[in-house]
Amino acid sequence: MSEAEPGHEPLPVGEDEFRMIADSAPVVVWVTRLDRTRSFINRAYLAFLDVPYDEALVFDWRRVIHPDDAARLIAQSIAGEASMDTFDLEGRYRNAKGEWRWLHSTSSPRRDTQGRHIGFIGVAHDITEAKEAELSLRDSEAQLSAFISQSTAGFAQVDLEGRFVLVNERFCEIAGWSRDELMGMRMLDITHPDDRARNLPLFDRAVAEGTSYTHEKRYIRKDGGIVWVNNSVSVIRRPDGEPFGVLSVTLDVTQRREAEAQMRKSEESLRLATESAGMASWELDLETMQGEWSANRFDLLGMPRRDDGRGSIDEWLERVHPDDRESVRAAAQRCFDTGEPYTIEYRVCRADTNEERWLQSHGSRIDYSDDRPSRFVGVSFDVTDRKRAEDELRASEARFRTIFEQANDFLITTTLDQKITSVNPAVLAALGYSEDEIVGASIADFMAPDQLALALDAFNQKMREGGSTRLTVTVRARDGRALIWEINSRLTTDADGKPTGLHAIGRDVTEARRAEAHLRLLVDELNHRVKNTLAIVQGIAQQSFKGVTDPAIARNAFEGRLAALSEAHNLLTREHWGAVSMAQIIGDAVAPHGRDAGRLELDGPDLPLLPKTAISLALAIHELATNAVKHGALSQPDGRVRIHWAKTEAEGRARLLLVWEERGGPEVITPTRRGFGTRMIERGLAAELSGTVRIEFRPQGLVCTVDAPLPEGAE
Amino acid sequence: MSEYAGLRVLVVEDEPVVAMCLEDILESLGCETVGPAGRLAEGLALAEREDIGAAILDINLAGERSTPIAEALLRRGVPIAFASGYGAVPEGFETVPLIEKPYREADIDAALRGLLNGAE
Repeated sequence: MSEAEPGHEPLPVGEDEFRMIADSAPVVVWVTRLDRTRSFINRAYLAFLDVPYDEALVFDWRRVIHPDDAARLIAQSIAGEASMDTFDLEGRYRNAKGEWRWLHSTSSPRRDTQGRHIGFIGVAHDITEAKEAELSLRDSEAQLSAFISQSTAGFAQVDLEGRFVLVNERFCEIAGWSRDELMGMRMLDITHPDDRARNLPLFDRAVAEGTSYTHEKRYIRKDGGIVWVNNSVSVIRRPDGEPFGVLSVTLDVTQRREAEAQMRKSEESLRLATESAGMASWELDLETMQGEWSANRFDLLGMPRRDDGRGSIDEWLERVHPDDRESVRAAAQRCFDTGEPYTIEYRVCRADTNEERWLQSHGSRIDYSDDRPSRFVGVSFDVTDRKRAEDELRASEARFRTIFEQANDFLITTTLDQKITSVNPAVLAALGYSEDEIVGASIADFMAPDQLALALDAFNQKMREGGSTRLTVTVRARDGRALIWEINSRLTTDADGKPTGLHAIGRDVTEARRAEAHLRLLVDELNHRVKNTLAIVQGIAQQSFKGVTDPAIARNAFEGRLAALSEAHNLLTREHWGAVSMAQIIGDAVAPHGRDAGRLELDGPDLPLLPKTAISLALAIHELATNAVKHGALSQPDGRVRIHWAKTEAEGRARLLLVWEERGGPEVITPTRRGFGTRMIERGLAAELSGTVRIEFRPQGLVCTVDAPLPEGAE
Repeated sequence: MSEYAGLRVLVVEDEPVVAMCLEDILESLGCETVGPAGRLAEGLALAEREDIGAAILDINLAGERSTPIAEALLRRGVPIAFASGYGAVPEGFETVPLIEKPYREADIDAALRGLLNGAE
């Protein structure tokens, strides 16, 4: 307000004119006398109070002053008046409508032409809007200030060289330096050396071009600690647009960074773990159907790795074996659509080698509780070896099953307490039981106590020493037959080597044992016969060489006798050492001595003889024939021998009568000495037949008569 | 030779040639032969009737075993030896010596000496 002009009474302009001016002014105008009564008020004044003019002239302003402002305004007013100078007041007054309005008044002393003080002239204008704006600004400044100082965010202002000029408490806490220390330092001074190279260009560009940026970096605290911060940086400009500083809003993100690092670490460990386990993984954002493959997923499919790690579903399905492709696609699609996880095994053809491999894949959909789109995560690993092993195992099981079913050998498994758990068909066939009757029964049900004891001994030995046992036991078939089984068995064990049961493989050796016993009998018998034969040969040799001076004669006799013996053996062998024909024995014995020439006549029934008797008879006939050839009928061209035998009967018992009768030979002289031949015939044959043998040296020819009970085997 | 002078040895042997052979051996050793018997009944009769100082018995006599003869002789205190190609004495006669066929004169000599020494 301009200073009040030096006043005159009357007014320098006409009173009406002044009133008109004052009334048209948008401000409250008043004029007071020394006694503080008003001599003039304008229309705005009246409008504010909305009382009649006369009443307004004497209105006590103190009635409408805001209680908070009253004391101040009254005091200032008194002081202002006393100063005899222009003074201003500012305060809230209540208008006629009851509203508090901010009024700014300026009062100036009035003087007359002589300079005497005659009162005051005042002007007041409504500053409510401005005041409220100011107050509002001050409030928001206070709020901002409070926000800044109390914020979890740090605020720092630096100049264009990066020197700190303003920092809040929080920034100091975050940065780990006091405000005093920070002032004068540059922001790069507390920035981690490794982050400076990245930070500086951003800052320079912001200063040069006004671009804001947000980045994360590390501060080094005074105590040497490191803090990760997220800084939102913007340039502060003067009203004319000239930048004068850079403001940073700083958040401490150390914990988040650490958590992230931790997560990265665990993600890395998980990745390493899965990869080292041969597990490949892939992810898919189900909204965009985009995602990444782990490096070894490319390897698994025989595809070259890609820097961006991107691989599509179709690229995967393309590698899947055509026979498996539809089922694989369906499983994945169902998982995408319904969230139903899947585990599938399928074949792929490697892109590089076209080799067929088996993969096992698990897929799951991950749904978030917030509005993030669902993701798909899948892992795969190569199970070709396991698959092959399984196939191998299956094939091997099938083979063993076939062997088990078709083996002629007996296959039996039992528990550790001898309960039968399985048998193959061969066992059922051998014993004549059904499977139901055998499985679940004890082995004791199929063998005698002494045989069971053998089996238990073998079992206990395996429990003690492990290994396998071979055992021959007699088992009983359903029809009571005793079967001799040779059984090899060993314990089955679990992974820890603890016995779980017994596995036995057996074979019926009943026939083999019988054959073996028979063979042993045969060998013993053969041995016996050989020894006996040797004893006979020895005897023949001894008799042939005894007392004979001419070795050639002795040898001839020996050879002849051996030949007769051999001939008899031939016959016996042909007849398997059973009964042989008497006619045959006699015929063979005389054959070398001219039977073919018709000089020997055989006449008798075909009686069977036991082998031993046959040999003695053969040797005796040989001796008679030899003698006949040397000294008797057969030494002459016309000599004849008649051999006749017959079954006779005497005293009710069957007898054999055999007569060797020579004719046509030289005159017989009774020998002075009896040789082996005579002895053999008279004593040997007689003993053999338990009868009598008589040799008569009749002059017309030798006659040998055998009278004996009908030999065994000849009845 | 004179060692066995007057010793009467019973020969039980069903094989005539072998029996003759044994007779000759015994004769050459200076023994007197009793028998030979080729059948059980015959042998048994001799064993019970004859004056016998020792006996050599074939085990198998035309399908019968000579053990009754052995028992009869042992009862009489006559030392015996078996002669056989089987390689084993009959059950129950484990203490009786065995002469394996075929045998030589020396085998018979040794067996007889054993029998006589054992009997003394």
